[in-house]
Amino acid sequence: MNKKKTYIGIISVAVMLALWEVAALRIGSEQIMPGPWATLLATIRLFAEKDFLLVVGNTLLRGLIGFAIALVLGVGLGIWAGINEKFEAFLRPWIVVMRSIPVVAFILLALIWFKSGSVPVFIGILTMFPMICTNVIEGIRNVDGKLIEMARFYHASESRIIKEVYVPAIAPFVVSGISSAFGIGWRAIVIGEVLSQPEFGIGSRMHAAQSFLNVDVLIAWTLIAILISFLFEKLIRWGEKNLIKWK
Amino acid sequence: MALELKHISKQFDGNVVFKDFDIAFQEGVISCILGPSGCGKTTLLNMMGGVTAADGGDFSSLDGKRFSYIFQAPRLLPWKTVAENIGFVMDRNITASERQQKLDYLLQMVEMDHYAQYYPSQLSGGMAQRVSIARAFAIDSDVILMDEPFSGLDITLKKNIMERFVEIWKRDKRTVVYVTHDIDEALLLSDEIIVFSKAPVKIVAQTQVDKDNLQAVKDLILKSLE
Repeated sequence: MNKKKTYIGIISVAVMLALWEVAALRIGSEQIMPGPWATLLATIRLFAEKDFLLVVGNTLLRGLIGFAIALVLGVGLGIWAGINEKFEAFLRPWIVVMRSIPVVAFILLALIWFKSGSVPVFIGILTMFPMICTNVIEGIRNVDGKLIEMARFYHASESRIIKEVYVPAIAPFVVSGISSAFGIGWRAIVIGEVLSQPEFGIGSRMHAAQSFLNVDVLIAWTLIAILISFLFEKLIRWGEKNLIKWK
Repeated sequence: MALELKHISKQFDGNVVFKDFDIAFQEGVISCILGPSGCGKTTLLNMMGGVTAADGGDFSSLDGKRFSYIFQAPRLLPWKTVAENIGFVMDRNITASERQQKLDYLLQMVEMDHYAQYYPSQLSGGMAQRVSIARAFAIDSDVILMDEPFSGLDITLKKNIMERFVEIWKRDKRTVVYVTHDIDEALLLSDEIIVFSKAPVKIVAQTQVDKDNLQAVKDLILKSLE
């Protein structure tokens, strides 16, 4: 069945490309909508550009820094809130606010407060932290109390209980949080770059392409962002399989 | 020699479970606490193990004693292998080779030596319970507390595991205090049976189990439960 599903997926993408080509031909203007072939060529040209690695590297770096901070905060505060009900009550409004404010509003404020290179990182943290934190809290809630009881009965030290019972128990939830957070965070970071326009960034290049009406280049950068997102998704899934091998 | 617990009192939300309650367990034998569900058997076990605090009572005969537990569900950590689960409770101070030796011995004892690297999700219920029995013997405990460890297993499996437990116990006769509501189980396994009433708990019967005359013992117990 899995082979069949992959097949169907490939056919679906082929249909997507075919419809794109048809639409492009009907519109008839490369300026407004280049066809898939022209876009592919534009994408390949991008790889050859001298600053390509710098551009992609910077966006990736912002993504990873934002993610690392969101992860540390999310897991740390999440564990605390999961164990301590009072702290959870305190943290809840902060998380709700972070989740409800439209990303764009954050970005516009951040543009005023931070220098342009850091805005995307800040946005990344704000979008990823609530997701990771919420998942970690849920993970702690779901820890089987009977296992904790067993560990207590056998007088395992508090630090061993955290390390060998709580952490592995919440691991699947953390991974799930990372997966959701990364998708949203990556998009938010690129949007952040579009608006803050740091010197090197995928978002900055997208903005430039748009203002010069280089639609093919704009779509090309989009494809690159999608590709990176896809690669990370695979990475996370691989990590999950290797870390959570007991199921 | 006996472990004597005196003047125990415990209440939950105004419900008195134990009031000025005395009980004694002979050391080195399997004692069974029999009684209706919810009467306080598990509470007593928890107080003995130091997991629930009694409101009052003299537990001094338990001072310095180490405890092991076997629960109704195996309670194995799903992310650790069979070997790691047993190792989880072992003394932190022994050397790696001592640890391995002990582990090999225990696994052989419960006939799980071929399954040392398996995860709990790969084991059947009976196998998991065997691991939890091995785990109980992994520390040098003086007392093994068991809370309905064999309920939830089907009859043949139950008999098998109970027999295995007795074999293991015979080689290493620790004090066992075992709680159940199943009379037949109690008769098969124990040297002494203590019958509890409903809360506030009183001992309504206490008898040695004469293996040659189980029916008489059973009748005695059933009568006391009326």
